[in-house]
Amino acid sequence: MEAARTTGSKPIIALIGNPNSGKTSVFNQLTGLQQKVGNFPGVTVDKKSGDLDLGLETAAELVDFPGTYSLYPTSKDEKLVVQTLSHPHDENFPDAILYVADVTKLEKHLLLFTQLRDLNIPILLALNMRDLAEQDGLQYDLQALERKLGVPVVFISGRTGLGMDDLKLGLANLLLKKQAPAGNFYQPSNEEKQLIAALQPDFPAYLPYQLLLLAHHQNWLPYLGVEEKAKIAKASTNTGFQDLQMQVHETMQRYGKFTPMVAESKMQGRSGGLSFTERLDRVLTNRTFGPLIFFSIMLLVFQSLFAWAEYPMTLIEDTFGQMGQWCRYILGSSMFTDLLVDGFIAGLGGIVVFVPQIAILFFLISLLEEVGYMARAAFMFDRVMQVFGLNGRSVVALISGGACAIPAIMSTRTIGNWKERLITILVTPFISCSARIPVYTVLIGFVVPAQKWGWFSLQAWAFMGLYLLGIVAALLAAFVLKLVLKTNEVSYLMLEMPPYRWPVMRNVWLTVWEKVKTFLIEAGRIILIISLVLWVLASFGPGQAMQKAEEAALVQAKTEQLDEDATEDLVAASRMEASYAGLLGKAIEPAIKPLGFDWKIGIALITSFAAREVFVATMATIYSIGHQSDEYSVRERMAKQKNPITGQKVYNAATSLSLLLFYVFAMQCMSTLAVVRRETKSWKWPLVQFTFMTALAYLASWLAYNLLS
Amino acid sequence: MVATVHPSEKLLSTAKVGYKSQVSHFKDTCMACKLLAMGILPGTEIELIRKAPFGGGCYVKADNILVALREAEAKCIVLRS
Repeated sequence: MEAARTTGSKPIIALIGNPNSGKTSVFNQLTGLQQKVGNFPGVTVDKKSGDLDLGLETAAELVDFPGTYSLYPTSKDEKLVVQTLSHPHDENFPDAILYVADVTKLEKHLLLFTQLRDLNIPILLALNMRDLAEQDGLQYDLQALERKLGVPVVFISGRTGLGMDDLKLGLANLLLKKQAPAGNFYQPSNEEKQLIAALQPDFPAYLPYQLLLLAHHQNWLPYLGVEEKAKIAKASTNTGFQDLQMQVHETMQRYGKFTPMVAESKMQGRSGGLSFTERLDRVLTNRTFGPLIFFSIMLLVFQSLFAWAEYPMTLIEDTFGQMGQWCRYILGSSMFTDLLVDGFIAGLGGIVVFVPQIAILFFLISLLEEVGYMARAAFMFDRVMQVFGLNGRSVVALISGGACAIPAIMSTRTIGNWKERLITILVTPFISCSARIPVYTVLIGFVVPAQKWGWFSLQAWAFMGLYLLGIVAALLAAFVLKLVLKTNEVSYLMLEMPPYRWPVMRNVWLTVWEKVKTFLIEAGRIILIISLVLWVLASFGPGQAMQKAEEAALVQAKTEQLDEDATEDLVAASRMEASYAGLLGKAIEPAIKPLGFDWKIGIALITSFAAREVFVATMATIYSIGHQSDEYSVRERMAKQKNPITGQKVYNAATSLSLLLFYVFAMQCMSTLAVVRRETKSWKWPLVQFTFMTALAYLASWLAYNLLS
Repeated sequence: MVATVHPSEKLLSTAKVGYKSQVSHFKDTCMACKLLAMGILPGTEIELIRKAPFGGGCYVKADNILVALREAEAKCIVLRS
């Protein structure tokens, strides 16, 4: 046997189990840092897989399938399991199955197992949560189970790593022997037998149970052609096949058969001590305290994203700044240096700067998920969120969006229903994120005077108003999207609430690592390209335009006897005006004039696509105060700007409010768009999102400007 | 499937908090299939532990698992009286 095989020919082991079976812990135990994230063909579901060295010169690829209760799926994730396992030609069709079941709930966790068992694939049953079982004194006669179910059984704990060697040995044997379980668990009804007989000539490659699955799922299975679907539909009608009725019949027969097997194999102990969990839930899901505790936890999450992330973020910004300066020092000034420093290093810095927020959010979220709390949050907020077409879990994304939309959008992965998840992704950027604060700070003074109203300053009220506006926009947009988006996926709650457990830190760290890695590699690529484009736009102009502008500025500086800094600032402003970004700003002026914006604001709108806070720096450059780009100086400078034709102030209340509203609603963040693309696996949704957010921003700004002026 | 209401039928959605009984049958086959897959079968011991904070939802103990159900989902579970 060849020890070294190519990746393509490695046998595939599918990791399958019910939700909450502890499948992820087992996956992490077996693959550790070897895991990678890819795509299942044709769907938006992530494929997590990892290389396995099983000993006995056997290697395999372990593919983690979404958790599901049966082969009758209701969500996209669950459909994937059926889609792959009913189709022997699928590229992920496994050579063997590792089925993970929670030993403390074995009576509930074997339905899917018996279904998989009828697919003629070698299968191993891993009874997980051995640590809990031993603690409760729960014991099964493993040999009896093996005999009754006809498959090898191992007893493991994904949390502690107990029994992992047995598991690996079992898997290696499974692959070497290639022996599928003998006989069928399920005895089809007469109608089903007739249907199988009718379909067999047309689908010779399929097993009897696979044929039944085809009949149940022919309306959505993507690999079936029109003709094949028609044949199946015809055969179903002819044999009087009633899909729901048959499903109930099959399910009940399977339970009827395996329930006594489980009972007879149980040696001692009662499974599932829930008293601790139930007592804790009396408080945590209490009608009054539950939501209060939830919001306190969210406040902590929010605080850590907002305040704690600040330090590493500043450190990253400074480091990349230093690196740039150092490169300039070593390489001297040239166009290549500019490209390297202002384009590449600055672009990379702009990506890495998100890592602290992503890492912190996922650390906390996966901690809450590990402990078992997230399911409670989903339960408590389900009703409220349903009104807006959202999921109970959307609350977490919406709240985190108040710090940064990027980790918030990445956190929607746990929302099973695709429509609810999509709506959450699409509306989260409406929530005012921390990058909007500098913009609000600069502009709010032009709209609201620095007076007090009650105990609070008027500006503080206005600030809060902007935040509320973002929340209202998110909820209203969600409501509209709920009505507009079509889906044939039925929404369910039916959520099993796992017992509270002490978190396994390995799982938490692996989640953080995976999220950071995917962001850097997949979204980072797009962000880097866009930031290079933005750099080119701001650094180059047509022909000699920028050089001429620079010369003119130098002459002007000389006649006005400006000092060195002021001269540099003037040159920077003139170059910016002559650059492609400047031209673009002027080109869009007719379109933004109805909002009260001039071309200078136009430039800022374009450059702040890199990140909203860039608005402040761009304003500083345009108004020739590049050396003092703090918010206070920028505001001072903006306050002095007068329209050359009318002589009136540029930043009057109308224009400023219009600009503020634009920043509340508009999708001005390429990084968010890149993450939305990554999460929805297409450019369609980021484009839709960009369009409706910009349209809303335009409308709101136009209304505000025209009402006030 | 038409959901007819018999006055004698006790639905999980109308049960009082703390009510404990067994599942008799289901009113909606589609919903039933999903509940069956989770292990909520006719004969399963079921207890309504509490209602959701903002109304509607049910926190239920079914044999040895804890399950959150929407009102519409609880409505299709008929209890033995």
